[in-house]
Amino acid sequence: MENVTDLTGKTIVVTGATAGIGQAALTALAARGATVIGVGRSEARCEAARRVLLSAYPQAQITYLVADLASQRQVRLLATAIRERLHAAGADHLDVLVNNAGTVSSWYVATEDGYEMQFAVNHLAAFLLTGELLPLLGRAEAGRVLTVSSGSHFRTRIHWQDVMFRRGYGILKAYTQSKLANVLFSAEFNRRMVGLARIRAYAVDPGLVNTQIGLKGTSGLEHWFWGRRAAGGVSPEQAAQTIIHLASAPTLEDPDAVYWNACRPCRPSRIAQRPAEAARLWALSERLCGIIMPEGQLA
Amino acid sequence: MRSTVLITGATGGLGKALAAECAARGWDLFLTDVSEQALAPLVAGLERQFGVTVLYRAANLTDPQARTELWQAIDRLGLRFHFLCNVAGIDFEGPFVERTLDDLHTILRLNIESTVETTRHALSRRDRTRPLHILNVASLAAFYPMPLKAVYASSKRFLLDWSLALNRELREADATVTALCPAGMPSTPLVISLIDAQGLPGRLTTMNTGEVAARAIEDALRGRAICIPGLINQVLRVAGGMVPPQILAALIERRWRQSQKQAAPVLAARQHSPDLAPSTR
Ligand SMILES: NC(=O)c1ccc[n+]([C@@H]2O[C@H](COP(=O)([O-])OP(=O)(O)OC[C@H]3O[C@@H](n4cnc5c(N)ncnc54)[C@H](OP(=O)(O)O)[C@@H]3O)[C@@H](O)[C@H]2O)c1
Repeated sequence: MENVTDLTGKTIVVTGATAGIGQAALTALAARGATVIGVGRSEARCEAARRVLLSAYPQAQITYLVADLASQRQVRLLATAIRERLHAAGADHLDVLVNNAGTVSSWYVATEDGYEMQFAVNHLAAFLLTGELLPLLGRAEAGRVLTVSSGSHFRTRIHWQDVMFRRGYGILKAYTQSKLANVLFSAEFNRRMVGLARIRAYAVDPGLVNTQIGLKGTSGLEHWFWGRRAAGGVSPEQAAQTIIHLASAPTLEDPDAVYWNACRPCRPSRIAQRPAEAARLWALSERLCGIIMPEGQLA
Repeated sequence: MRSTVLITGATGGLGKALAAECAARGWDLFLTDVSEQALAPLVAGLERQFGVTVLYRAANLTDPQARTELWQAIDRLGLRFHFLCNVAGIDFEGPFVERTLDDLHTILRLNIESTVETTRHALSRRDRTRPLHILNVASLAAFYPMPLKAVYASSKRFLLDWSLALNRELREADATVTALCPAGMPSTPLVISLIDAQGLPGRLTTMNTGEVAARAIEDALRGRAICIPGLINQVLRVAGGMVPPQILAALIERRWRQSQKQAAPVLAARQHSPDLAPSTR
């Protein structure tokens, strides 16, 4: 276990905070006094999670916001709502953004923007939300952008000829590619924000975790398989430790390491370390999100 | 004059996939569907992804007045077409006697009347410098008399026969007509849970929407009269042709009643969970 740092005065956003790792992380961060904003896609599940958290920690400074991260329109509205929320709480900055929301789908599904679901939720939403919140993060003393990736990123590459897998879609192909994108994004973020040493991005590998993620978008054999596999994983509370460490440790043992597992810096896959791949993904993501991310200095 | 692809029902699962497939070939698009709110983000996403020009207008194609206005708008833009995808179509499942007259009219107007009219309009505004390809989205249901989906399946049968005839007739005019006959497509959370409820048969007959769209466009470009994506679905079609229609109808009725039972809990759960958002159509 980590030694407990008091996070009073810190502002933290966690996406996908209605279940699994995100809910565990949000709870632990709120318990340490941080002002937290949880994001979920279901009003009912947000309300239920809020109640559970408040019954355990009645003093918690907690808000839940509803947004379906598959929709870029809703990601933008979410960013506006976060700004308003922070403003209302008297905070002029955001200390930590945790891009944790993730999804799997047995089938090729196009979002309202016409993008493949896993690429849209697991990668593009994180990219866009980070971009939208960048000015707030830049005002923090040491802003951090944590994106929950996965060890499964080791076994894949970016399929440039058809990133959305319109042809030859496979649940694991799309999932692992999106998790590789999380690492490439974090690495490229740090390269581009050099002028801004105060804000860093980290990709988190939570290990195998016992959550429902693989049961929601799957059926048949895949459903059964994910269920069996997850049962052998660690608890969400334990998996959240790395997020909590990166969000709260005043100094990290290796602040330049981009990929973290079990509270320790690790080496990501070879492809994840290629600057050219990362730059190409960054350019594609900017185009697909219709934004230009500022570099170096922030306005 | 701009040579364009016209796609109706563009914001549904298959519509989105067909739009992407066409845009990936560098073709400019004109999209229509009922909801402006659904069209706007899709159009932006397609332009960003493929760098083509995508125009759109919302229209309720069951309404003849709205159709007229749609074509007036298209004429103001001066568009000419080299590809038409008639995707807009609707189904209300369940016993015939439980359907309201409104439901029945909607199926007939959208699936048949609007498709025929749209095709007629597009033909007279074709790009005369190149071949015209028309893709009509029928269904595997077009091959069978289907109790509990009687009007829907028959409307698709109309599209199938009409496409076959027209494909022949337009050959001299350098135009092709293809009837796309897919099985269920897992394009929305609701449809996915319904396919899941069918168990193995649902799983086996189902193909990814992106794959169906790719196959459909390729077959249309080749001028194939019928496109049935998926080997199992092709086998089903051949097998269906060997069984007398009365017996087929009885078999299908049994199957649908059974799958309705399997689907009941899914549909009930959906009423309690607004998150399983139904598709717009
Ligand atoms: N479990 C593992 O073994 C494992 C391993 C490696 C990496 N990860 C990563 O860890 C992260 C969290 O996964 P988990 O295992 O904790 O899964 P989980 O229990 O399913 O939690 C995922 C969270 O994301 C939310 N979410 C999903 N789609 C969303 C959308 N479109 N818009 C907004 N929120 C959405 C979910 O909301 P609902 O409550 O409404 O579903 C839920 O709160 C994911 O990025 C995953 O890829 C997990």
